[in-house]
Amino acid sequence: MLKFHIPHHLKGEKIIILLRRHPFIILIKIIFWAFVAILPPIFYLILGDELAKIFSNELLSPLVVLFTSLCYLYIWLFAFHSFVDYYLDVWIVTTERIINIEQKGLFARTVSEQKIYRIQDVTSELKGFFSTLLDFGTVYIQTAAEKERFIFKQVPAPYKVARKITKIVEKNKKFHRLKEQKDKITTK
Amino acid sequence: MGIPISIFYFIYLIFVLIFLAFTFFNVYHLVRFGFLTIGNIVIVCFYIAISFLILVISWGYIGQIDWTATIPIIPTLNF
Repeated sequence: MLKFHIPHHLKGEKIIILLRRHPFIILIKIIFWAFVAILPPIFYLILGDELAKIFSNELLSPLVVLFTSLCYLYIWLFAFHSFVDYYLDVWIVTTERIINIEQKGLFARTVSEQKIYRIQDVTSELKGFFSTLLDFGTVYIQTAAEKERFIFKQVPAPYKVARKITKIVEKNKKFHRLKEQKDKITTK
Repeated sequence: MGIPISIFYFIYLIFVLIFLAFTFFNVYHLVRFGFLTIGNIVIVCFYIAISFLILVISWGYIGQIDWTATIPIIPTLNF
C-alpha cells in the first residue's frame, strides 16, 4: 500500500495512485543548472589571460571571489528548489477522492480535492517528441462540479493512469448506488 | 579618500543570509509536506553538505583578502 501524508485523511481511505511528474522533467532542470554551473570555468578557459589580469588586480580580485561564491551558492539553491518544486507537486487518487497538491514557489501551496463519484470524464493526452518517446503526458479529469477540471501534468503512462482512474470511478459509483439502495430499503 | 572594499564583504554576507533563509524554507517544505523517506533525508543532507562545502571553500579564499583596502574615488595625479 502507498503511504503519503494526505490532508484530512478519511476513515478507511486508501491511496491507490500517487503521481509526480515524469523524472525526465527534473532531469532536464538538473542538466540546465549543471550547465549554468560549468559556465564560469568555460569563461575562465576562453578569457584566460584577461581574467588572469583581473585576478592580479588587488581591488578586483576580492569582487571576483565574492561574486563567484554567490554564483555557486545560488545555482545550488535554485537547483535544490527545482527538486523541492518537483517533489511537492503530487496527484493522489484514493478510494474516495482525487487530491491535487501543487507547490507554487516557496510561499504558495494549493490543495484541491474532489469526490471520486463526481468524476464524469477522464482524458489522457500525449503531446510532443519526448512525451511520445518516454511515455509521459497529461490526464484531464472532468468532474460534475462547476470547478475547472483536474489536470495531472506530465505524469508517466497517462493512458494507463486514465484507465485505472476510470475503473476506480466505476467501482466507486457502483458502491455508492448499492449504498443508496440499501439506505432506501432501511428507511422504508 | 576612498570606498572601503569591506562594503562588498557586508553585501556578500547579506546575500549569504538570504541564501540561508531560502535554504531553511526549502528544507522546511520538504520535511513538513513531503514524506520522510530515507531518499528524502539523504537529499536534504547532501544539499546541506554541498552548501557547507561551498561556504568553506569561499571562506578559504575570502580569508586571504585584505579587507582594510580602499578603492580611491579621486584618482591620484602623478606630475
